[in-house]
Amino acid sequence: MAAFLLPAIVVYGVFMLYPLAKGVYLSFTDSLGGPVSNFVGVDQYKAMADQPDVGDALWHTVLYAAVVVVVQNAIGLLFANMLFRRPKVRKVLSVVLLTPTLISPVMAAFIWSYLFAPTGGINALLGTLGLGSLEHIWLGDPSTALYSVATVNIWMFAGYSCAIFLASYMNLPTELLDAAAVDGASGWRRFRSIEWPLLAPALTVNVTLSLIGSLKVFEFPLVLTNGGPAGATDTLTLLVYRNVFGGGKFAFGVAISVLLLVTVVVLSSATSSLLRLRERRV
Amino acid sequence: MTSNSQIPAIKRFGSGLGTTLLCLGTVAFILPFLFTVVTSLRTAADVAKSPLGFPHSLTLSNFTGVFSQIHYGRSALNTLLITVLSCLCITILGSLASYPLARITQGWSTAMYRLFILGTSVPVFVVVAPLYLLMRDLNLLDSYTGLIIIYTAVNLPVAVFFYTSFIRSIPVDLEEAAALDGCGAFRTFFVIILPLLRPVTSTLLTFISLQIWNDLLVPLVFLQDPDKRTVMVNAYSFIDPHTVQPTTLFPAALLGVLPLFLIFIFLQRYVVAGMSAGAVKS
Repeated sequence: MAAFLLPAIVVYGVFMLYPLAKGVYLSFTDSLGGPVSNFVGVDQYKAMADQPDVGDALWHTVLYAAVVVVVQNAIGLLFANMLFRRPKVRKVLSVVLLTPTLISPVMAAFIWSYLFAPTGGINALLGTLGLGSLEHIWLGDPSTALYSVATVNIWMFAGYSCAIFLASYMNLPTELLDAAAVDGASGWRRFRSIEWPLLAPALTVNVTLSLIGSLKVFEFPLVLTNGGPAGATDTLTLLVYRNVFGGGKFAFGVAISVLLLVTVVVLSSATSSLLRLRERRV
Repeated sequence: MTSNSQIPAIKRFGSGLGTTLLCLGTVAFILPFLFTVVTSLRTAADVAKSPLGFPHSLTLSNFTGVFSQIHYGRSALNTLLITVLSCLCITILGSLASYPLARITQGWSTAMYRLFILGTSVPVFVVVAPLYLLMRDLNLLDSYTGLIIIYTAVNLPVAVFFYTSFIRSIPVDLEEAAALDGCGAFRTFFVIILPLLRPVTSTLLTFISLQIWNDLLVPLVFLQDPDKRTVMVNAYSFIDPHTVQPTTLFPAALLGVLPLFLIFIFLQRYVVAGMSAGAVKS
């Protein structure tokens, strides 16, 4: 029976674990992607510290992830909460909310690049509503570009967060909810002291999934801004792609990918152990 | 439960208002998508005149234009082939490997399981550069075989996670009886276990096929021949969202998601279950 494992181990070992180890090794060399390379110790990491782009990209990546995790899950939870109380519309609306999730990130970026364009959908809508003063060059202004890109991410996956919260809502013990309703607890109190603690496992799943997903975001900034304006939306993934395949700085790009791995592992394991600790206290 | 007459009319009105708000919120949420559908059917001149207007006459000419621009027929078939074959490999290798992982309770199999699970949090970005060198050395660049192997390796962790937890929930009695009857491990797997895996396989497949069909990075990096490209790569390379009209962007976006939408309309039940599976599994 143990032999059943063999094909999977070979494929996973050769094409996932080996490249992972090789990547860490390459980040300590001056490799250009060719057969010759020299061990250079932590030189690539020192170079990274000297280049403000990398620090900026790390900050953009973390800020982006924080915005996406908080807003996406807040919207998802709000929808789940309202859908749970309205069984008549629950099924239809939750499927409708999931449709953006099926769109590919490239295609979602196509749609929103028009909506965000200076003469595009959002500005036209604001003009029609008489709110012309709020019109803005959403993707062209460094102060709004990153949040605009995050909006697309949130739009695509809020329905997904909602589905996970809703599945958890459906598993809540009805007796408890009924008892609270009979006792006359207000909507907010019921949510705060009964539903919110019981939804802890769903929150852990949602936060972990959205965190990992948003830290490795690539298509949205690539298609919408390609890192611009003036590097305001450069993420670690864009730097990896540019350095590794843009020519000349292969090992440097690989070192940035190791930084990305460390960021994902540290942030996701810290968050999930914090959330699991919280689950146990509830 | 309180009887109906005791619920004040005002509260019922409030609940009706909430449902209306919820429906409006959902419509607002998918408004960008509806807008995309409507605008893609309008002529470019009509859209330029009033971006938010309703169509005066419907046209499919935008679609035919984009269809040839991104070589849709060819690229859609390519993507379909890659997606189907990858899904097949992931399903077979993943379920085969999960059987011993779920049934053998020794130290090494637990360690092996952990090793697979580790892969769920490694972004493809971290392995993409070393993987490129490996594929080059193995002569697998620019080939579907190479792409399918990569997708299999990257998605095996998710498959192992899904299948192992599912097989653990199946009672062992059947297998023990089969073993008494002299049925070998191989036959037991194919005759008894595999048929039971149907529901979890549909869940897994909705999840994975979506990722592979929508992926940009792997085909962008590992395929060079324009005839082999996928829909997302063609859309990304032939359409620049910043200089192009919505009457090109929107049909492209819709063509990109159309095949999956058609499939998922029939599999809706599994899609919703698959999407929210994370919450149940936690």
